[in-house]
Amino acid sequence: MRDGLLDPRAVLLHESASGREEAIRRCGRALVDVGAVAEPYIEAMLERERSISTYAGEGFAIPHGTAAAKEVVLRDAICVVRFPGGVDWDGERVTVCVGIAAAGDGHVPLLAALADVLLDPDRARALREATEVNQVIKELT
Amino acid sequence: MPSIDSKDIRKIIVACDAGMGSSVMLASQLKKQLRDTGVTVAHTPVNDIPADADVVLCHAGLAARARAAAPGKVLVPFQIFLGDPAVTELVATIRNGGTVDA
Repeated sequence: MRDGLLDPRAVLLHESASGREEAIRRCGRALVDVGAVAEPYIEAMLERERSISTYAGEGFAIPHGTAAAKEVVLRDAICVVRFPGGVDWDGERVTVCVGIAAAGDGHVPLLAALADVLLDPDRARALREATEVNQVIKELT
Repeated sequence: MPSIDSKDIRKIIVACDAGMGSSVMLASQLKKQLRDTGVTVAHTPVNDIPADADVVLCHAGLAARARAAAPGKVLVPFQIFLGDPAVTELVATIRNGGTVDA
């Protein structure tokens, strides 16, 4: 994966969360843990989510920070956090969060790949049900 | 209400708050759908909509901010990031000819 955009350590496939806020915090933590963002980014992700849901279809959400929070982005990075039990996302059911930290455009090819996956129900299901880190990375890169 | 003829559309901007997530995904799809039309597609934060944008796409929840940031531009609001009927219609109008207004 180019420049560590999707670090295997940021692919977490067996998480659980009681709700949207906890799920977003888990994504933010994953981005902090791989050194992509500073701690305040997590609150910015929650703030962004409150303005407009980041639900993207097919059981996927793409939580990310605000324009102002780009200041605390250390490098462009993506995390993939899967909640097999599902998370209520303002009335939608989310199984996979693709968390985004970006100050530049390094993540654009990966999001383009994600859009392709979400518009193909079979590929979307395969990614929702993926249990191997390599499988996830292969699908998105 | 601003409007534009499809043949005058050269540049579409997909705007969102941070220009980081949903706008990137939508812009990538639009680029693909309009590849052979000569129309360029870019994504920007809603406060950075360039002056040469012909059409601005943004989430309905950001429409008021986009309108304030880029007054007089044709603004097409959408509700869902992928597969929104408003976006499908815009692509069809660019391909088949017609007027886009909002």
